[in-house]
Amino acid sequence: MSGRTAVPTFLARVPAGLARVPGVALVLIVLCAGFGVASAGFATPTNIANILVQSTILLLLALPMTLIIMTEGLDLSMGAVLTFASIVFAVSVIATGSFALALLAALGAGLAFGLVNGLLVSVLDIPPFIATLGTLGIAQGLSLLVTDGQSVVGIPRWIDGIYSGRIAGIPLPIVVAAFAYAVTHVLLYRTRFGTYIFALGGNREALKIAGISVRGMLIKVYLFGGLMAGFAALLMTARLNSAHPTAGIGMEFDAIAAVAVGGTSFERGNGWLFGTLLGVLAVGVLRNGLNLLAVPSSAQVASIGALVIVALFIDGLRSEP
Amino acid sequence: MSAEGVPGPPLFELRGISKHFPGVKALDDVSFEIRAGEVHMLVGENGAGKSTLMKVLCGAYRADRGAFFHRGEEVTIGEPLDARKFGIAVIFQEFTLVPYLDIAQNIFLGREIRGPLPGLVDQRGIHSAAKRVLDTIGFDIDPRIPVHRLGVAQQQMVEIAKALSQDARILVMDEPTAALSDRETELLFAMIARLKQNGVAIVYISHRLAEVFALGDRITVLRDGRKVGSVSPSETGPDQLVALMVGRSVDTTYARPARPQAGEVVLEVKDVGAPSGIADINLTVRAGEIVGLSGLVGSGRTEVARAIFGADRISAGEIRLFGERIDGSTQDSTRRGMALIPENRKSQGLALARSVGDNIVLAGLRRLFPTGIFLPRRAVQAARAVIDQLRIATPSVHRAVGTLSGGNQQKVVIGKWLNARARFFIFDEPTRGIDVGAKAEIFRLLDKLVHDGAAILMISSEQTEIVRVCDRAYVMRSGRIVGELARDQLTEANIVTLGMHR
Amino acid sequence: MTRAMTDAEIAVRPRLGFSSNVTQALFRLLAAALLCALLASLSDVFMTQSNILNVLRQTALLFLMASGLTLVILTAGLDLSVGANIGLSACLAASVIKATGSPSLGVATGIGCGTMVGLANGALVTALRIPSFIATYGMMWMLTGVTYFYMGGETIHGFPPAFRQLGSGYLLGIPMPVYVMVLFLAIGTFFAQRTVWGQQVYAIGANPVAARLSGVPVPSRLLLVYTLSGAMAGLASLIILARINSAQGDIGEDLTLPAIAAVLVGGTSLFGGSGTVAGTLIGAFILTLVLNGMNLLQINASWQPLVTGVIVLVAVSINARTRRTDE
Repeated sequence: MSGRTAVPTFLARVPAGLARVPGVALVLIVLCAGFGVASAGFATPTNIANILVQSTILLLLALPMTLIIMTEGLDLSMGAVLTFASIVFAVSVIATGSFALALLAALGAGLAFGLVNGLLVSVLDIPPFIATLGTLGIAQGLSLLVTDGQSVVGIPRWIDGIYSGRIAGIPLPIVVAAFAYAVTHVLLYRTRFGTYIFALGGNREALKIAGISVRGMLIKVYLFGGLMAGFAALLMTARLNSAHPTAGIGMEFDAIAAVAVGGTSFERGNGWLFGTLLGVLAVGVLRNGLNLLAVPSSAQVASIGALVIVALFIDGLRSEP
Repeated sequence: MSAEGVPGPPLFELRGISKHFPGVKALDDVSFEIRAGEVHMLVGENGAGKSTLMKVLCGAYRADRGAFFHRGEEVTIGEPLDARKFGIAVIFQEFTLVPYLDIAQNIFLGREIRGPLPGLVDQRGIHSAAKRVLDTIGFDIDPRIPVHRLGVAQQQMVEIAKALSQDARILVMDEPTAALSDRETELLFAMIARLKQNGVAIVYISHRLAEVFALGDRITVLRDGRKVGSVSPSETGPDQLVALMVGRSVDTTYARPARPQAGEVVLEVKDVGAPSGIADINLTVRAGEIVGLSGLVGSGRTEVARAIFGADRISAGEIRLFGERIDGSTQDSTRRGMALIPENRKSQGLALARSVGDNIVLAGLRRLFPTGIFLPRRAVQAARAVIDQLRIATPSVHRAVGTLSGGNQQKVVIGKWLNARARFFIFDEPTRGIDVGAKAEIFRLLDKLVHDGAAILMISSEQTEIVRVCDRAYVMRSGRIVGELARDQLTEANIVTLGMHR
Repeated sequence: MTRAMTDAEIAVRPRLGFSSNVTQALFRLLAAALLCALLASLSDVFMTQSNILNVLRQTALLFLMASGLTLVILTAGLDLSVGANIGLSACLAASVIKATGSPSLGVATGIGCGTMVGLANGALVTALRIPSFIATYGMMWMLTGVTYFYMGGETIHGFPPAFRQLGSGYLLGIPMPVYVMVLFLAIGTFFAQRTVWGQQVYAIGANPVAARLSGVPVPSRLLLVYTLSGAMAGLASLIILARINSAQGDIGEDLTLPAIAAVLVGGTSLFGGSGTVAGTLIGAFILTLVLNGMNLLQINASWQPLVTGVIVLVAVSINARTRRTDE
């Protein structure tokens, strides 16, 4: 039974997230400095712009992943669902020529998987990592089936514009990502839904006592993940001008890494959305830098794996009582 | 500090409440009056029925018999929602706060003030509403501070504010000053005074005589589920109160036998301290004796037990078993012949889904099978021997231990250590949740153990047990040992007096 | 805090844990038999000698992958890196064999690599206290990356016949892997049921707190099971290598999910404390039958990960259900 001494009010007003700035910002600074020195092509405006644009897809995944992790859950199926949704989008746009219909189809696919995940976790009480591992297999299977292992080509060229277009000089993906970030921010910090997300991870009992349906909340948060995967699929298909059955595989890992590095804890109902943004940038910088140094993507994956483990270790150190 | 007599019926009244659980009568015809603007102290030993009574009041438990009255009119309380309708709120010891939300969000969890668009929360609204509530209890703090940054005392204030914001007119507090410093306690008392002025009734459970007399307008004493007295603080004194709390009829089914003279020193604990909150612990236990470790809940007894056994690491001092310094792992302690029968036998002492036999042999696997090869038949034989020896009631050695009764489960835990040939036993609340009849049997078992030369350290919250069973006892308070009582000084009154905060 | 039950209440309560291990195993064998009957009726090819041998070989392979994993899951843990471990071990072993021409060095490398990975997993879980599913998930990606990097897109093929016997050879008409399977079925069952360590592993899965308070050195045992899981992955990698006679970066992909499925279908609970190695064998058999049946019925191979995923979910939800009603 330890009693902590009270915190002087003026210090206590500093938002909790700010205390974490040193961690991920430091990582980001170190990476940028390191690559800036190691590679001539890193610190150019074109390259920086590249990093930002390429990170948008990851951000769209990392945002809901942050919320899911805050509820002590995990969504391992995001990459596979992203892939499947992109295939659905590609097939739909080729078949109907309508962007709107294709978008709806992709979002529908994402939402469907989100619903399944939510139901598995909340109604059937299956631990999230196993439930989403299962849906990962299912989504992957569906992707392979629909495409017969081949890429989907023949997507109308104007779709590319989604990825390469600009609004007021700003690349479209960044606008989309900024919008998504703003929406998630409002969702998490300004709505009842967001308040309850904190409670799901921090003290689930408190929610139950307050009469809020834990099941409903869990379903909604995984639905959110599915929805964002749908939007991300849009960007990814536009970027590649095709849909591959293996395109998005493993992106959930980058997303989890970004969230972990960004400081969101796996166990205490604490989330820092801006940290996730920095984490996404960190992963983006890491990949970009390693690319410039001609490091094969396999080794990149290895280093991100190491990054996650380091981030978790530090997180564990921090939370030691 | 006594309230002048409030005319009319009490704000809330419980009459003739009885509640029993299988094997134990928790409450027997208890009546309790709650008056507005009054602090009503509820005192009694552990197990006297205080929390059961409060749980009946707030609707968590259903009384078997008895009636409730709100301002003189009979009402029913069948579930927590009913209690809340009457403004009854309980401040639990485990807080229902969400760490990374701020104070205002916690206060209004589930009842957020709506913002302009659906789903949005009116941030400024709840912050100012929270400020208002906090002001009524005199808690001056910025409601935007996240709760995890608050000290325990402040968190408690938030809990109270949360209850008040739901229009609580009767506030029940269970040992609220347990984790507070003197200064924080003063703040709490100031807040209580303010609440009284607003006509809120407070039911306050406490072991601390000083605050019982300082704060109480009325004191009710429970003992063994019965109300044994309801007095005003001005009519009585601390000694009389203690006498009311502990006086009881002696259970004659267990008589302490003559014990042989204590033998060699088995356990020696020197200047031990641990991060779990204990410090300067010195004690010894000799072969053939049962030494008690008493004190109130939270005084650190279990922490001492865990430190000795190696379940928690120590930061100071040393522990010697049979003269040898032990290295602080449970594996090592077990090998050397130490046993721990934990407080919570289901979650800490047994694997409920495993069989009786598997549980019995677990600690003694190395001893039974020194080659490392496990022979099921020999394990079953060994388990059966223990079952016979302790007369554990189970149809089969293969039955899952979770199906046994509490008393028999406890025997399995003890049997586990007999099988491991332990020579030093730490019992943490050995008779908790066990029928009265089975208790005597457990005591006789302890006798037999020490008669055969073992040494026992027994933790118990029931002073009668300590007095009846132990040869001598240490008393703990706030993580330290505050006294040692030899056989001739070992009385319940002495234990209670030493253990209480003065 | 729950109160104790009186003996009267005990009599009425349903029985828990009645040694149903044997009955459950028989139940599963029955399911397998029914499956065989079904497949035999649906396809003429099913009962042919070559197909039966194929099924046996696949079962053996799947079992070997899943046997060590069973121990990990018994402790309520999980090893998601099994597939990636196999990939790395196979590739390393392959290059050693190619470089030195010595099968035995290759075997040593494969098993050694697998064991080291297992050890690393164990260290992450016990020393760094990272939850097993996250630790092994991160490890999985690291290993995958390292494997691809190491192979650089190349394929290694063509191993000495002596080595290939391990995977493609026959003894008395039965594929070699089956003998290895039987051997490790015996070893695994012996470890789990007939050693002190095995009993301690079960105890840890059933209640790690009570196990620790009973003198069980929990971290050491956890380290042991993760290491064993890794070692078995290393062994399995060799057999796969010997069978397909080549190695490339993606060898380990899509192996983890079937391994987990085999363990769960075999009756081992994800929540720890119950299950057997023999059960995993039956689970591997059933899963192999399902996948084999799909092949014979010429169902697109892309359905396989999907079906496996569904099987895993079904097995876990049944498990979660029974667990809840038991409480």
